[in-house]
Amino acid sequence: MPLLPHHLPWFVAGPLIGLVPVALYAVANRPLGASGAYLQAIQTVRGRATEGWRAWFFVGLIIGVLAATVLQGGPVLHLGYAFIAGWVNPIGAIPVLFFSGLLMGYGARWAGGCTSGHGLCGTAARGIGSFVAAFTFFLTAIVVTLGLNLLTGGRA
Amino acid sequence: MKRVGLLSGIAFGFLIAAAGFGDADFIHRMLLLQNAYPYLVFGSAVVTAMPLLWLLQRARWVTPLGGPLKLVQAPLRRRQLYGGVCFGVGWAFSCTCPVPALAMVFSGGVLGIPVVAGLFSGILLGDRRAHARPLSDGVTAAQPAT
Repeated sequence: MPLLPHHLPWFVAGPLIGLVPVALYAVANRPLGASGAYLQAIQTVRGRATEGWRAWFFVGLIIGVLAATVLQGGPVLHLGYAFIAGWVNPIGAIPVLFFSGLLMGYGARWAGGCTSGHGLCGTAARGIGSFVAAFTFFLTAIVVTLGLNLLTGGRA
Repeated sequence: MKRVGLLSGIAFGFLIAAAGFGDADFIHRMLLLQNAYPYLVFGSAVVTAMPLLWLLQRARWVTPLGGPLKLVQAPLRRRQLYGGVCFGVGWAFSCTCPVPALAMVFSGGVLGIPVVAGLFSGILLGDRRAHARPLSDGVTAAQPAT
């Protein structure tokens, strides 16, 4: 029996997530961000890291998601996109998903942060640029998703 | 600092996965405006963090490892819009973002692997671009990515 539900109540998960960037600022005076952690993880492998602690943050992310997954009764091998099952070939989805990841990574670097760097930490620090970036992330993703849903007759 | 990075990463990754953000179908319903839960999580996280950071700033908090607290408050730049649209399109097609993508992969979601590979490639490409030429707003080199 899983020790952790698949979705903690929002009023538990949300405030606890909010405490992480506060703790990081309070202890180390550093902003939290995931795309920067990805970057520093690659740069560490290439021997070019400028903020090595972010690579450790990346390692921590993996340990954290694994720990939660185990407590939720996983990991369980699955495709991961049930809503496209049956009408999209999973092999055919691979290049689309790779390109989506590439767009997100490039966009995050261009914008100076991602959903955690701008969306959570930057907005909590009251940066006007972070509010604009986060609003653009959400608005674009919602409009494109609703558009795709319309174009595919409600399947996507 | 390594220890702080590791511990904050563990806490953040654990909570993102415990909130179920690694489930692409769940995020897909959020982007279709059929699932309020992720918005509530996100909103309550910001609402929790914002006043606490404000209080620390007001108290002129001196951090144990990084000196006097200085919040990074991103000024308004055009690239937040351009990069934001680019990110948003990728988010819509993948129904995941950097930390949830890791949660998807490590919970066994095989199709999260090409997303994570794409994220690494895109971040590296974006970093090369930032170092190769000045950005339109006059920022010459990559700012610390967050």
